[in-house]
Amino acid sequence: MTIHACERRETLLAIQDVHAELGGRPVLRGVDAAIRNLVRPDVAGQGQVVGVLGPSGSGKTTLLRLLAGLAAPARGRVLVDGAPVRPGAVGVVFQRCPLFEHRTVLGNLVAAARSDASAAAAGAADRARALLSRFGLAAREDAWPRELSGGERQRVAILQQLLCGHTFLLMDEPFSALDPLHKARACELIVEVSRLGERNTVVVVTHDIPEAAKVCDTLWLLGRERAPSGAPVPGSRIVETYDLIARELAWHDGIERAPRFADFVREVTDRFVGL
Amino acid sequence: MSNVDLLPIAGHRPAAAIGVPRGTLAGAALAAAAIGLGWRAAGAALPAPREVLAALATLWTERGLAGELAASLALNAEAIAWSAAISLALAYLTVLPPLRPLVGAVSKLRFSGLVGWGFVFTLWARDGHQLKLWMLVFGMVPFFATAMAAAVAAIPRERFDHARALRLSPPRVAWEVVVRGTLDDALEVLRQNAAIGWMMLTMVEGVVRAEGGVGTLMLDEQKHLHLPAVFALILVVLAVGAAQDAALAWLRRAICPYAERREAAP
Repeated sequence: MTIHACERRETLLAIQDVHAELGGRPVLRGVDAAIRNLVRPDVAGQGQVVGVLGPSGSGKTTLLRLLAGLAAPARGRVLVDGAPVRPGAVGVVFQRCPLFEHRTVLGNLVAAARSDASAAAAGAADRARALLSRFGLAAREDAWPRELSGGERQRVAILQQLLCGHTFLLMDEPFSALDPLHKARACELIVEVSRLGERNTVVVVTHDIPEAAKVCDTLWLLGRERAPSGAPVPGSRIVETYDLIARELAWHDGIERAPRFADFVREVTDRFVGL
Repeated sequence: MSNVDLLPIAGHRPAAAIGVPRGTLAGAALAAAAIGLGWRAAGAALPAPREVLAALATLWTERGLAGELAASLALNAEAIAWSAAISLALAYLTVLPPLRPLVGAVSKLRFSGLVGWGFVFTLWARDGHQLKLWMLVFGMVPFFATAMAAAVAAIPRERFDHARALRLSPPRVAWEVVVRGTLDDALEVLRQNAAIGWMMLTMVEGVVRAEGGVGTLMLDEQKHLHLPAVFALILVVLAVGAAQDAALAWLRRAICPYAERREAAP
């Protein structure tokens, strides 16, 4: 067993007392959390992967929209690099991976690359082609989105966000509707994206406990607490934070075969069921 | 489909290979059979097919059918262009919630009928051409705008969020998601409404005779009980309408190769 040395430095994302409602019904109640820059002395460009776990209806997607700046909290605030989040400040890969259906794969990526004000528009196609090549999609650059498989579509959606200049990526249910092989590939992709830069951060919103435990360094468990009477309190909050680095589960190849991984998944599942 | 269905007859290209769906051929054969039976049942009241063909030749050579057809097609094209422009503008504006009631009101005009409005349009229009144009546009816009507003309303929120997350400006979000994103729907709706417009055209040309047109010609022939000519004109209107429909379907495939074919709407 290897213990990885690391240091948590500046705060990249802060969620401060966030409340949200849907149709007058509380969905989130006082969510507080932070993501800090993880630095490993022996690894260059170690990014962060945080998992948001929670049962259906626990407000995961609402939290994702708040983190993306696509909705405003009823109370509290979300800060990215110290500034209030606004649409476009962080990248989002939605569950069904929407793309511009009227553009080819390359066209989708070029459109995203041109929206990055910090990069030269002239080299958009070259940068897009370089990423397509790196992520095994070079042969698909002229394909229409509807011709892509689920896994290919997900990769194109991620590449769009990267070309847009996002170092902070939110992914909604990236493992849903994928077979075991494609789940494994999605995990590899998430890790690869997180390691593209020191400050690269991927937040994975999912209810898939084993896959989340495989790729994340931190897990947040979102759910409703119970009153002393046993009745659920309206509005979810982060009821548990798991540090997978401290538990020596993060950054280990083949960790899913270790007994302690199975023990951890069982522990989270038991907690999950009680929510 | 069994293997037998796929076997080509020697020297003969299967219908599917030349781009004609097998269902279309079967439907056309059924329709032809039904028309033939109906024709026979009507007995001597209806003209024989060779009389219709002879009348068609006369219409073409002596009555200026080509010119009348050109006038009708030009008017129809103009009406389609205006209807598309007005309807698409109305439909795209539905992304702004305060403007939705406007489209709702236009949509309700589908139930008002055209007949009573003729007098109102006469007051507005400068000449016969404009009057016919107004009537056609008024007839098409409520249907076109309703269908397109439904297409815009069906855009999932995720598509807007996706574009916003890519840092596109609001006008570019509208362009990519609403305008470009529904272009294939717009062309399909245009095709359906062009068919409605073509059907209304002969009626409108019958009401307003300025500039002529196939509808005017048909009414003239009907007035003089030239039934072979009337049937010849019915066939011409049908053939031109079907050709227009095929041309618009081809245009949609050419402009939007990414769109799925709408097999449900033949």
